[in-house]
Amino acid sequence: MRINNAYFTRRKFLNSILGGWFGAVIVSFISPIVKFVWPPYKEPDEVKLVLADFAAMPPGEVKIFPWGVKPGLLKRAADGTFIAWVGVCTHLDCNVSWVPDKKQFYCACHIGWYDENGTNIAGPPPKPLRRLDVAVEGEDLFVRKPGAGAKA
Amino acid sequence: MKIDLKTFLAWFDDRLAVTPLVKYMTKKEVPQHEHSIWYYTGSSILLFLFIQIVTGIMLAFYYKPTLEGANASIARIMTELPLGWLVRSVHSWSATFMIAIVMVHMLSIMLTKSYRKPREVTWLTGMMLLVVSMVFGFTGYLLPWDDLSLSATKVGTNIPAAIPVVGRWVTQFLRGGDDVTGDTLTRFFLFHVCILPLVIFAILVVHILLVQKEGMSIPLKEEIAKKTVPALPFWPNFILREFIIWLVLLGTVLTVALLFAPSLGPSADLMAAAPEGVKPEWYFLFLFQTLKIFPANMGPVTGEFVAVVIIMVGIIGIFVVPFLDNKPETKKGRFFTYLTYFGVIYAIAFSIWSLL
Repeated sequence: MRINNAYFTRRKFLNSILGGWFGAVIVSFISPIVKFVWPPYKEPDEVKLVLADFAAMPPGEVKIFPWGVKPGLLKRAADGTFIAWVGVCTHLDCNVSWVPDKKQFYCACHIGWYDENGTNIAGPPPKPLRRLDVAVEGEDLFVRKPGAGAKA
Repeated sequence: MKIDLKTFLAWFDDRLAVTPLVKYMTKKEVPQHEHSIWYYTGSSILLFLFIQIVTGIMLAFYYKPTLEGANASIARIMTELPLGWLVRSVHSWSATFMIAIVMVHMLSIMLTKSYRKPREVTWLTGMMLLVVSMVFGFTGYLLPWDDLSLSATKVGTNIPAAIPVVGRWVTQFLRGGDDVTGDTLTRFFLFHVCILPLVIFAILVVHILLVQKEGMSIPLKEEIAKKTVPALPFWPNFILREFIIWLVLLGTVLTVALLFAPSLGPSADLMAAAPEGVKPEWYFLFLFQTLKIFPANMGPVTGEFVAVVIIMVGIIGIFVVPFLDNKPETKKGRFFTYLTYFGVIYAIAFSIWSLL
């Protein structure tokens, strides 16, 4: 049945209402399932380390620190400042290691090499290692995502 | 060659033969009479089974079936994961609803005598499904690994040991040794998420195929009068009515789960004394109470042994009802009706007694 000048029939109207309601019901069931199955785990914005643990590092040495649930690499530069990277290969996510003899970072998964500045120099890695910001604040050493800034 | 949706679907239909199935669905009819309401219990059970599968898989994503990790992983699901407490609550409540409706389903068949020829095997597979569902409940009860679930499992797995010779062996199989340990937990998890699902699906397929093969049973009264009963097309009339019931049940289970989330005690300590108020799931309460009323020793055997034998005879009795109540369709078999009422009153009374 269609009322004069109406754009759609009564059946079409009722079907849309029912269908829309049914769709809303389905979405309301699916969305919590999606949230539960993909929980919002994110890598940290900032990690706080104890400065004393790293203060004695000679220039050129690299140490590992926990960047959330993956390794971070902390290097003492020649001028005494710290440089940090996420210790994960930019090729396919394997953890990299520091090879002191060569002064290079090495990924064993597909033989990828990075120089001591984290630049990819050999093998499949497409990009340099991800840099992190380092800030010394009193007794603490903060490692932050670039641009994350200090927390107020 | 022109390829559109129609030819694409026809290609599949050629190979998978979907059309005959759809044709069958549209031709299938469901009788309409004063007892038709019980037909809906079957699909309601399937709804809860489906909820159990979905929520069960979700829980298994984060659950850790180990001595050290089990309780903590449930605590994490309950407190850290988005709506995790609700997922667990729905899983727990939907299990309760499922068993309850299975019992209603079974009673309706008992009282309308639908198990009679030619549906004896349908009844047997149905009883098997009930037993498997209860084993699902029993194995699931241990998984949170708190003091209550540990004690309940110790008691439950000790019951077969009352049977001479083979009993001890059964208990050891269930526990993975002489005592309930972390191995029991891992084993129960495997039963719960792997072995029992395979078993229940195998039996369910036979059960549902048999229901399709014989069609819906109609009540004795109509059968005796040889009347033709009015019928409703399965698709879409019956399915849409089922859908309404599903929505109501879904709303009910969600509401209950929202208001009464299951608790979680501290992680079970194998050395600790049993806590107060150890109880099995509600559907085991009458069996629990039956075991309690027997004295420790009855002549040469233990009271537990006598109780276990009586319970076993009772269960086997229910299994073979179609072969005991095998009168021609014109006879009502009142004795079994009264026996059913007695069984229901017994189960309710003993369940209440066990809570006093």
